[in-house]
Amino acid sequence: MKTARSRTGDAVALEPLMTRAQAGDGAAYRQLLAEVAARMRRLVRRRAPWLSPEDTEDLVQDILLSLHQARGTWDPARPFLPWMVAIARARLADNARRYARRAAIDLAAADLAETFFDASANITEATVVNMMSVRKAMGDLTPAERQAVELLRLREMSLAEAAAASGSTVGALKVAIHRAMRKMRGTLWKE
Amino acid sequence: MNDKEQSQGATDALIARLAREARPLRPLAHPLRRALGWAVLALAFAAAMVWAIGPRPDLAERLGDARFLFEQGAALATGLAAAVAALALTIPGAPPLWRLLPVVPGALWLGTLSLGCLRDWWALGPEGLRLTPDPACFLYIALIGSLPGLVLYLMLRRGVPLAPRLTLALAALAAAGLGNFGLRFFHMQDAALMVLVWQVGSVALIAGLAGLAGRGLLRWPGARPA
Repeated sequence: MKTARSRTGDAVALEPLMTRAQAGDGAAYRQLLAEVAARMRRLVRRRAPWLSPEDTEDLVQDILLSLHQARGTWDPARPFLPWMVAIARARLADNARRYARRAAIDLAAADLAETFFDASANITEATVVNMMSVRKAMGDLTPAERQAVELLRLREMSLAEAAAASGSTVGALKVAIHRAMRKMRGTLWKE
Repeated sequence: MNDKEQSQGATDALIARLAREARPLRPLAHPLRRALGWAVLALAFAAAMVWAIGPRPDLAERLGDARFLFEQGAALATGLAAAVAALALTIPGAPPLWRLLPVVPGALWLGTLSLGCLRDWWALGPEGLRLTPDPACFLYIALIGSLPGLVLYLMLRRGVPLAPRLTLALAALAAAGLGNFGLRFFHMQDAALMVLVWQVGSVALIAGLAGLAGRGLLRWPGARPA
């Protein structure tokens, strides 16, 4: 899609496009949605660099669908960006809840529960307790340590990939994951 | 084609589909204007209910009583302000201060009734603060607020649920506030404490229950459940 203009700056005036879209102009609407998609894709990648391309596009598509449903609520007398940002923020917050839940479940069920509680992980109640413990243990980590756990354990990235995604170095990630694992093991053994 | 291109291709397909659905549409009017339209309907319905049930015999006298007029004015203002706030909350990017609109009239409403309690106590002693059950208030308020509440709910659904709980609580406050305004034209109960507990209490209860149901009743159309 044509995103070249938006990459060079925020020069595209969105209000005229949206006004024409509300008047039923499909071409203007298409251009507007492409512009919004490009901006949202950049935003999501910056905020959540660990998301896979599919998950990023899922979020972008969810925002586009919501914008489409809400397009009658834009008042042509008002600026477009605050309107769009309010929609995007609401949808990202809703989706963040969904992702957080899924991430916690993935993390607990797929990896750490086995690592720390391999003997009892087959029992459902024990798994639930383990998940809760793991979530609690994650709460004690610093943001850098949590990111290391998310990238290396949850996303199963290699150290090099994780370093590229997080803008960190391999050495720093090694230290972070080592500290995170030690802290979590400490928290979990205290339970 | 790599993963990234493939997933962006799905987004491009969605954009093409949505663009094909572009039809001329009229943007929603300003929340103030929509609230005004709603208020006309809600007041007409309340007036019809008062007429159907029969106005209180001392209505002419009450209409000359400054305290009655002030309390009614505050209830009406609270209801109208809540309707504007609820409608504004469903418009993305609307100034967040809109949601505080009902605070001032609401405080005046509670304040004037609290002062009324003191005055009743001063004039009549403990007898002035006697509290007897008056559950009919709740039913009448719910009845008079029912149609306006439903209409306001349908109006809210044309917007987006940015804060569904607060939006629905404010909408219920609007409908029930108007309901309470109508109620006092036929219900012979002016003791400040009775009004405060049974009538304002009913309004608050209705608003609170509606707030709890907010997430279920106001959803993003077409969006995946969170």
